[in-house]
Amino acid sequence: MKWIRRSSGIAAAAGLALTLAACSGGAEGAGGDSQDGTGDVSGQIAVAWWGGEARSAKTNAVIDLFTAQNDGVKVDGQATADFSKYFDKLNVQAASQSLPCAVQLQGRQVNDYTKNDLLMPLDPMIESGAIDVSDIPKSVLDNGRGTDGKLYFLPYGAAYDAVGINTTLADEAGVGLPEEGYDWDDYMSYLTEAQESLPEGVRAIDSNGGRPNFFIGWTLANGKSLFNDEGKLGFTEQDLTEYWNMWETVRKAGVTMPAARTAEEPTGPDQGFFATGEVMSDTIPGNALTPATETLEGQGEGQEMTTIPFPSGPAGSGNALYPSGFAIPVSCDNVPTAAAFIDFFTNDLEAGKAFAADNGAPTNTKVLEALIADDSLTPTKKHELELYKQIVESDPQAIVFPPGYQATFESSFKRAYEDVSFGKSTVEDAVKQFFSEANSSLGT
Amino acid sequence: MSVHTQTSSPETIQSVLGSKARKRDWRKREVAVAFVFLAPWLIGLIGLTLGPMLYSLYLSFTDYNLLSSPKWVGLQNFVTMFTSDERFWVSTRVTIVYVIFGVPLILIVSLMIAALLNSKIAFLSGYRALFYLPSLMGASVAIAALWRQIFGGNGLINQILSYFGIEAGSWVGNPDTALGTLVVLALWAFGSTMIIFLAGLRQIPAELYEAAAVDGAGRVRRFLNITLPMLTPIIFFNALMVTINAFQAFTPAYVISGGTGGPVNSTLFYTLYLYQQGFAQLNMGYASAMAWLLVAVLAIFSGLFFWSSRYWVYYGDK
Repeated sequence: MKWIRRSSGIAAAAGLALTLAACSGGAEGAGGDSQDGTGDVSGQIAVAWWGGEARSAKTNAVIDLFTAQNDGVKVDGQATADFSKYFDKLNVQAASQSLPCAVQLQGRQVNDYTKNDLLMPLDPMIESGAIDVSDIPKSVLDNGRGTDGKLYFLPYGAAYDAVGINTTLADEAGVGLPEEGYDWDDYMSYLTEAQESLPEGVRAIDSNGGRPNFFIGWTLANGKSLFNDEGKLGFTEQDLTEYWNMWETVRKAGVTMPAARTAEEPTGPDQGFFATGEVMSDTIPGNALTPATETLEGQGEGQEMTTIPFPSGPAGSGNALYPSGFAIPVSCDNVPTAAAFIDFFTNDLEAGKAFAADNGAPTNTKVLEALIADDSLTPTKKHELELYKQIVESDPQAIVFPPGYQATFESSFKRAYEDVSFGKSTVEDAVKQFFSEANSSLGT
Repeated sequence: MSVHTQTSSPETIQSVLGSKARKRDWRKREVAVAFVFLAPWLIGLIGLTLGPMLYSLYLSFTDYNLLSSPKWVGLQNFVTMFTSDERFWVSTRVTIVYVIFGVPLILIVSLMIAALLNSKIAFLSGYRALFYLPSLMGASVAIAALWRQIFGGNGLINQILSYFGIEAGSWVGNPDTALGTLVVLALWAFGSTMIIFLAGLRQIPAELYEAAAVDGAGRVRRFLNITLPMLTPIIFFNALMVTINAFQAFTPAYVISGGTGGPVNSTLFYTLYLYQQGFAQLNMGYASAMAWLLVAVLAIFSGLFFWSSRYWVYYGDK
């Protein structure tokens, strides 16, 4: 009978889209009367976010604070544990015009939605005072802007990519930490040197040429732009060739994990080879230090890890911020309450404490300072926040990701380098392949 | 019906007519009641299966990204598929290789196990349950995740091999062996096919074997000349089901490759690529076109298979 289930599954998959479309209608045009977010804070709104149980508990705690302060407001929280499934769900909700009034987004996806005019610009709400941004640094706030320069989501927590170092392994290999202000060449020789003295089976780094995060850091440090004004690739084929050749050199020297091991690596910074102590260094999101440390401690080897900024370059720091924040869809029928909620979530001191920087460092500097001063925070968490402060002080560039980034850039990039690392393609051919794939769908 | 043979006096005609009318009323009511009871299923069929399917047929001729309304593009999706989408052909090749290796293996192994279990040994029902167990779990996410652990670089298989001094790399991480592990996974879940074979084996009259034994036919002879021909209807059914199933395989590849179809597209099943196009890249029109192409190919395949059956499937009554 298994086949019956399967075939109906196919029909369901093929047809899911139309059920959505069939259910649509209704909400269109609602909420148009309160573009500036002022008005009665009452009634019900839905709020959607991604994250596991711990984050959901903290988000719900903030929601409770909000409803306690606002009589008669009801908030329907919708959590999705898995990051990419979350966006699958949002797309389906967007297709049926039933997006929650406050949806959590990041810069990497926001333009998939602005392109289709699904989100309200928040600028009028800032002008009217419904949303306060006075305590958010401009370079951080700008990450919430769309391709048209308007603010589409209000960043509340700023994640950044860091370089993680397993300090126990690094000390054993006699290399310590890379020196402050190190660049990519320094990093590569640091790794190569470490590899000579690492224990059997442990590699200095993962086979990482296909990780967009590292590449973004490399382009920033070298003053290249990731995207041009049309939303197409802003760097040249030569740039990428140079970058991948750099990784191929260390991979062929046995400094990275073999390609086949990287291909089977579990996803998630708390499950990857760095967290399990199988590689000495890797890029991890700054706020993943806490869960990755927990995994490493669970290995029972007594190893420790820390995070440092990305390598720099001629153009300065290689760090980018990836803030998360809430956006308000045009289909929202209760804009004043939604605006009040995202303002509360981002700026309220108590809310910030309840959320405890679970998804990146608080963008609101007052909340950030309060958390750093808070003794109940673990040293690991404090390190995350202090490294963030250090990165913000270097004035990181805000990247505007064109529509289609999430869907095409990341998967094509990974695939193209995988072809190289498995010896199925030369660097030159893979670069050409990536450019044609990415440019055909980006920015359109 | 039998009233026609009776001599018809006015009263009987009257009563017959009356009973006919009553019967008709009752029929009508019966039909109405039937529809009421069928309604949930019918609503489901039309609303959740037929409607969506027809809509996806429409979508297959459009450019539809889920977030804005579909734009009619005619045959463009199909043209792209056949002329300029390399990954489409990769996924087709991967799927066909999987079907060509997987289907015969599953059929042969499950038939062999069924033949083994069709004998008189102790704890027979226990063995049957044991052999069926994997197929209860076979398509589940948990098992596919377990497969990663078994065939991974530090997995069970390699630990056993290293005990014998053999150093093998990752099986799921290596593009040359990743698809093989999926075939083994499918093979492992042979239970339902096996149970159907077993039922078929039980149907074969024992006299045939006895007669053949009297004539001096050995085991192999009896299997080739009695078991196989008598089993052809079952083989036909199982082959069809297993093949269609294999063409639609999705879950194991999705879980083992983390949804990428990697490494290097080696596990990019057709349905996995369809899913990527539809839900990751938001080309729902293109994904619908792919789905309908699969439907068409499976329909043609099934038609050919049914047509061929008259030459090799033996039904006892003919």
